[in-house]
Amino acid sequence: MKKTIAIVEDERAIRDNYAAAFSREGYAVRGYPNRREAMAAFAARLPDLAVIDISLEDEPEGGFELCRELRGLSPELPIIFLTARDSELDAVSGLRLGADDFLTKDLSLAHLIARVNALFRRVDALRRPAEEKQVIRRGALTLDSERMSVEWNGQVVLLSLTEFWIVYALTKHPGHVKNRQQLMDAANVVLDDNTITSHIKRIRRKFQVVDEKFDAVHTVYGMGYRWVE
Amino acid sequence: MGRIADLIRVGPISGFRLRTKLLLLALTTLVLPWAGCQYAREMETVLRESEQQSLLAVTSTIAGSLKGKQGLLFRDDSLEVSGNHARDITPVVLSGAPLLDGRADEWDTDSRNLIRVPGPGGDSLQLMAATHERWLYLALLVRDNKMVFDASTLAPLDSAAMGDRIWLAFDDKRGGQSQLFFSSTGPGKLVARRIETREYGREEAVEEPRIEALWQRSRDGYVLELGIPLTLVGQHLGVLIDDRDRRGATRSSYGTLEVADLQATGRLIAASPDLNEHLRQFAQPGVELTVASASGAILTRIDAPALPGDYTRMRGFLPRMYRLFLDGDVIPRSVSQAERQRAAEGLIARVAKGKPETALFAGRYENSVIVAAAAPIYSGDGKNIFGVIQLAQTADRWLTLRDRALTRLLNLTLFVTLFAVVAAFWFAGRMTLRISRLGAASETALGREGNLSRVLPEAEARDELGDLSRSFSSLLGRLDEYTGYLRTLAGKLAHEIRTPLTIIRSSLENLESEGGDSANARVYISRAREGSERLGAILTAMGAATRVEEAIAHSDRQRLDLAALVREAAGAYGGAFPTRRFAAQVPEESVEINGAPELIVQMLDKLVDNAVDFSADGATISIVLRIDDRHVELSVANPGPPLPPETGSRLFESLWQSRAESDKRPHFGLGLYIVRLIAEFHGGTARAENLPDNSGAVFTVRLDR
Repeated sequence: MKKTIAIVEDERAIRDNYAAAFSREGYAVRGYPNRREAMAAFAARLPDLAVIDISLEDEPEGGFELCRELRGLSPELPIIFLTARDSELDAVSGLRLGADDFLTKDLSLAHLIARVNALFRRVDALRRPAEEKQVIRRGALTLDSERMSVEWNGQVVLLSLTEFWIVYALTKHPGHVKNRQQLMDAANVVLDDNTITSHIKRIRRKFQVVDEKFDAVHTVYGMGYRWVE
Repeated sequence: MGRIADLIRVGPISGFRLRTKLLLLALTTLVLPWAGCQYAREMETVLRESEQQSLLAVTSTIAGSLKGKQGLLFRDDSLEVSGNHARDITPVVLSGAPLLDGRADEWDTDSRNLIRVPGPGGDSLQLMAATHERWLYLALLVRDNKMVFDASTLAPLDSAAMGDRIWLAFDDKRGGQSQLFFSSTGPGKLVARRIETREYGREEAVEEPRIEALWQRSRDGYVLELGIPLTLVGQHLGVLIDDRDRRGATRSSYGTLEVADLQATGRLIAASPDLNEHLRQFAQPGVELTVASASGAILTRIDAPALPGDYTRMRGFLPRMYRLFLDGDVIPRSVSQAERQRAAEGLIARVAKGKPETALFAGRYENSVIVAAAAPIYSGDGKNIFGVIQLAQTADRWLTLRDRALTRLLNLTLFVTLFAVVAAFWFAGRMTLRISRLGAASETALGREGNLSRVLPEAEARDELGDLSRSFSSLLGRLDEYTGYLRTLAGKLAHEIRTPLTIIRSSLENLESEGGDSANARVYISRAREGSERLGAILTAMGAATRVEEAIAHSDRQRLDLAALVREAAGAYGGAFPTRRFAAQVPEESVEINGAPELIVQMLDKLVDNAVDFSADGATISIVLRIDDRHVELSVANPGPPLPPETGSRLFESLWQSRAESDKRPHFGLGLYIVRLIAEFHGGTARAENLPDNSGAVFTVRLDR
């Protein structure tokens, strides 16, 4: 059975383009121009994944509200914010509401599809028992590449998909400096310096929530970042 | 024409600073002393004229009291006083009897009363006459190149004994004639003699004891002084000199007598003994009273008693200076005795023709002035003028009054001027200070973009400067809004363009995945994608400043070792820019500052980016970290073109750029603006300079330690 993706986007051309791309990949796509219509449909039947814009028609913050309501309906449903707004504040708010990823519309369709596929893969993986070979252990860190989950000292660290891929790229070869381009490639995104910096900052902060002394992500000025055990 | 128009537009003193202008304006108060001088002159004129008029009135009164009283004026009221004869003798009334001592210096006679008779061979006679009480005194000053005394051994009438002789002849009241001669055998007293013809024609010299006389040598001749009781003398009197070059020689005679018969034809015009009594009742302090005959000879003069009080003119530097501006045209400067004399004679001569008049003379002393008034004395029938009366007094009183008033006035105006100048200077200084403060404040307010301070000095002031300050403030406010709008415009624009760009891109991607079968289509699609990617890059660049501002807003500062950071980053640039070489000069010790490391690295990135952009391949870019006690300076220098002049701090403004040619990468002049933002976030400053030899530019960020 085809997986269903809901696209909530008030710009019809974009919505249709995304729909076309997802359909090509074999997904069933449903598009909604605003929160009202989306919620009405979700109440009847939940999609398997939701791609949401933040500003929806007359509601500048409608996407956030929709995300909150959707999270209320289903804690596991993957949600991706896809927006023209790229401010730090929006990203923080979106992720705090439980979105799995926060993407700007600069992202290419191929990258978007890669993410959607990854998220579906994770959903599948979570339904299966954990497989040992997918798990990377680096000291206090336990990283499951299938489930895209990270634990530090046995405690779960909730990362967005982008953040997970960055951590994954760093920990694959601990001690090696990964420059920004490498991190962007790993995370399937095109980001500028400041966005990478804020991603790293967010990652550090999330680890520090479970361990105040966390200091494994080092900045190598002028070059990039590396994982230190 | 143009110049006049300019003058009207900017005023005649536009070239000066405000302070100078106001000072010049204050100097116009110097008009006050000038006006004061004019006023003082006016006052002086009025005073003088009133003084002259009152003096003239007194003079006319006295003249009126003497009208027709010829007997009061002259000793002999039957004398026909009109007309003027060179031989007339007018004695002056003296207040004391002169000493008969052969010296005439105590004879205070006027030159008008002097009779001069030239003799032969440069000889001459000067005759002075005076009366005191009932005596007539004569002084004969004879200039004689060869004085000859009589022989003492021979009889006076012996022609061989005769030396220089003087004849005195007069008629008496009964009409008889007296002819007396004076001859001396030596200096000293002598007696007058008359020649009486006795029987048989014998002539005999008879002494006349009532006449006193004294003969004395003088420097250029001899002097004979003599006194005659006035009772002896009638209406006519004269003298004659028999000059002989040696004893017994032929005489050469000259004098006021007829040489042939020794007849006295010159009149004796003597004042009446009662005249002084009469005049004394009119005497006033400080006023000199003179009566002259119609011919101008002085009959009597009553000197003035001293004036009460101190009317000496003020001394000191300032009064002297003031007088320099005032005196001169009104008051005659000090003049010679002769000139003074001429002026006095002129007055009496004019008045003797019938018209009362006043005049100013220079006094005997420097700067002293005499004001005189004269009036004619008429005979009883009012047809003839037989005398002139003149009153004179020094003008010191009104001059002193004028000087005092003027000195006070000028001192006051000088003080006022000084005060006005000081006040103007103070005011101008304050004004200039306020204006320049306002100017400086608006200059700095304009200089720091994004940080326009709206509160300017003088905003509270209620005068025009306050208005100016407030309009400056509102102007700056609008400018601030405008620059703020410009600053956020890029970010807003980037955001707005992103949606249509997304449509284009996603459409292209779909087209590529589905429809792009033909080779041509693929080419076009790839071109369109390339274009949209460039557009995307432009948008990212446009939003860079906004993102940095956001990042700054969310940054926390921490202690960090700047030296290690710079060393590390500089090491990495070699890899990032293989076509440039990097020379880092960083202190060995750690340089701890409080900052956000990511931002500092980003700042360094922008500086290095800039240095790379403006240098050629193979150039060496030097990164230097310098420290002193209080500051840290991080500078990045590159060889290349020098900075365009006058860019200065504008380099660090948003959207400013001075790139000569554009390259492929989009530039919005935000790089150095980001540098500035980060430097300012750390409480520092950024500046750009040319290298000392103009071989490139150096950008320096200065941070507090």
